Amino acid sequence: MKLNIGYLYPDLMNIYGDTGNVITLQRRCQWRGIEVKIINISVGNYIPTSQVGTQIDLFFFGGGQDQSQNIVANDLGKSEKSKVIRQEVERGVPLLSICGGYQLLGEYYQPAIGPRLAGVGIFPAYTVASKQRMIGNIVIRIQNAELRMLEKLSSAEQDGNNNSAFDTLNSELFLVGFENHSGKTYLKKGARPLGRVIKGFGNNGEDKSEGCIYKNAIGCYMHGSLLPKNPDLADWLIKTALEVKYKKEIELKPLDDTLENAAHQSALQKFS
Amino acid sequence: MRLFLAILIGKTISFLTKTLKTGGGSAAPGYYALKIEPKLVEKLAKKIPTNVIITGTNGKTTTARLLAHLAKEAGLKVIRNSTGSNLERGIASSLISHFTFPTSYFQLGVWELDEAAFNSVAPKLKPDIVVFLNVFRDQLDRYGEVDSVISKWTKTLDKIDSKTTILINGDDLKLKSLKTIFDGKTETFGVEDYKIVGESLEQIGENHKLDFEAKNVKLDGLNGSHFILEIRNLKLEISLPIPGIYHIYDAVAALAAAHHLNLPTNQLASSLTHFSPAFGRVEKIKDGFIFLIKNPAGATQVFETIAPQIKPADRLLLALNDNFADGIDVSWIWDAAVEVLREKWIGKSVICSGSRANDVAVRLKYAGFDTKSILVEPDLEKAFSEARIGLKGTVYVLPTYTALLELQEILVENGLKKHYWKEEG
Repeated sequence: MKLNIGYLYPDLMNIYGDTGNVITLQRRCQWRGIEVKIINISVGNYIPTSQVGTQIDLFFFGGGQDQSQNIVANDLGKSEKSKVIRQEVERGVPLLSICGGYQLLGEYYQPAIGPRLAGVGIFPAYTVASKQRMIGNIVIRIQNAELRMLEKLSSAEQDGNNNSAFDTLNSELFLVGFENHSGKTYLKKGARPLGRVIKGFGNNGEDKSEGCIYKNAIGCYMHGSLLPKNPDLADWLIKTALEVKYKKEIELKPLDDTLENAAHQSALQKFS
Repeated sequence: MRLFLAILIGKTISFLTKTLKTGGGSAAPGYYALKIEPKLVEKLAKKIPTNVIITGTNGKTTTARLLAHLAKEAGLKVIRNSTGSNLERGIASSLISHFTFPTSYFQLGVWELDEAAFNSVAPKLKPDIVVFLNVFRDQLDRYGEVDSVISKWTKTLDKIDSKTTILINGDDLKLKSLKTIFDGKTETFGVEDYKIVGESLEQIGENHKLDFEAKNVKLDGLNGSHFILEIRNLKLEISLPIPGIYHIYDAVAALAAAHHLNLPTNQLASSLTHFSPAFGRVEKIKDGFIFLIKNPAGATQVFETIAPQIKPADRLLLALNDNFADGIDVSWIWDAAVEVLREKWIGKSVICSGSRANDVAVRLKYAGFDTKSILVEPDLEKAFSEARIGLKGTVYVLPTYTALLELQEILVENGLKKHYWKEEG
């Protein structure tokens, strides 16, 4: 099996160790004998196409500084990328976006001064600049029910069944990370948050929601890096990507996650 | 009167913290004295005829120490904030503890200011020279993004007298805008064939004009390096007793400042040969070395410096804390090139310590280290003793800032060194 990871704007959107997520996806595939190719997509590149859509099986989009974010917002709109990423997410291709990447995939970003930046419009959410810097460790809880709903959406597209890595979890899953943003994201009616904030600010520091899920696309504010300390989420992304690509149920070979789980647990105990 | 009271209180607190051994007394006296006299720094700094400020993400302490060393060797009385306390309260503490009221006998103040403190403190110090070393992503939870660091510096430079000389690392292109906006004199320093790209130093072929340039660089393992410093028509042969390209930048910056202070040029090279670095920055201990790591760029430079020196019997101890002074965000370890060390460490044990020991362990695993060789021991004292049991080679200890402070205590307890605040500043 082979997995192509599309790394969106790695030169402009990679802050607070977001690259750790790509390293994690890559390693966890390699340890299972899944061949990985990382395709960097930035200003001046296009997303390589295939018969079904693009050659990308899994997108990653990290956070960036304001200046980079302007360049990227501009490029997403001007090039075909915005349209292509939207189509691919509709097709069920999984995507993980953090912070700035998450903001740009919403409907718009309203800076403190100046006109709105149009977003890609994947997440039914919008972001408004604020004066408050929301910094610190963050712990969120993902309810299984929310994830099962997510599964149903994706499997409807695939004609597959509802089994997912998350179904093996008895009750709930916690994610641990570190947030650092001043933009406040508000989910629109009907938008599904990724989880509920146990510790930290989350989307806006007001409504206890963190992140957003649309089909198999995830947006959130969690740096940390996120995936190394939350291997279940990493595996869910890999599994979903392969299932969409190969149109069949995939059973990932279990890995020894002793170190990852220890890091997850210690962060959980320390911060929640 | 307020000033006098502030100094008195500060000195008392300094005395108490040292006597009660609660710490090096490097921040608390300034903190309380500033509450009494908020203008303490302005008022005391005015009494020093010449002040130099050093700022940037990496190398502040070493550069300040180098410059102070060169100045002392030239016979000047130097005051500086010596223990890496580079916020306003650290400056205030230093001024308080060294001041004999009401007059000062210091001839030169060398002040290292962190990226954020620069904006609030630099105008108060009325500097004669400001050195901008570099700007990297650092403990971003405290400083904000690199772009905003630069834009704030730009605004602060507006408040700095145009008689001031600005020395800029010409190899760090992010600093370029500072050169164009400052009204006064600006000069650049750097290393031939090098450029700072992202988090790392890269060797490049192209040449650009620098006012102070290290040429013919020859690295000599962990012993140091040799280079020729070109200052326009002048050439100085320099032997630097601390290793790594990044320390050459610190040395060139210090030499450039020394040149502007009119320190006798013929003495500079010989003074440098007996320079000893600040604690934790390439600190030689009985059976190993300590290298402070604190951000992706600095850590990567340390990895690149030690990787070629590693021998089969050597050991590695990484200690990651997430206290305020370390930066509470540990994401940065994913931006540091831990992979540089991997090949050298096949089959050898690595000990991960500190409050975020587990995070380091995961980082090593994903860098390709064998999980069987990774030992997690959050307690630094235990980890350090583990690292030294049956040691036949060298132990490389890489702590973050507060882990370094803890380590100093451990070294003292084990009789391996004296207290850092008893060291000469």
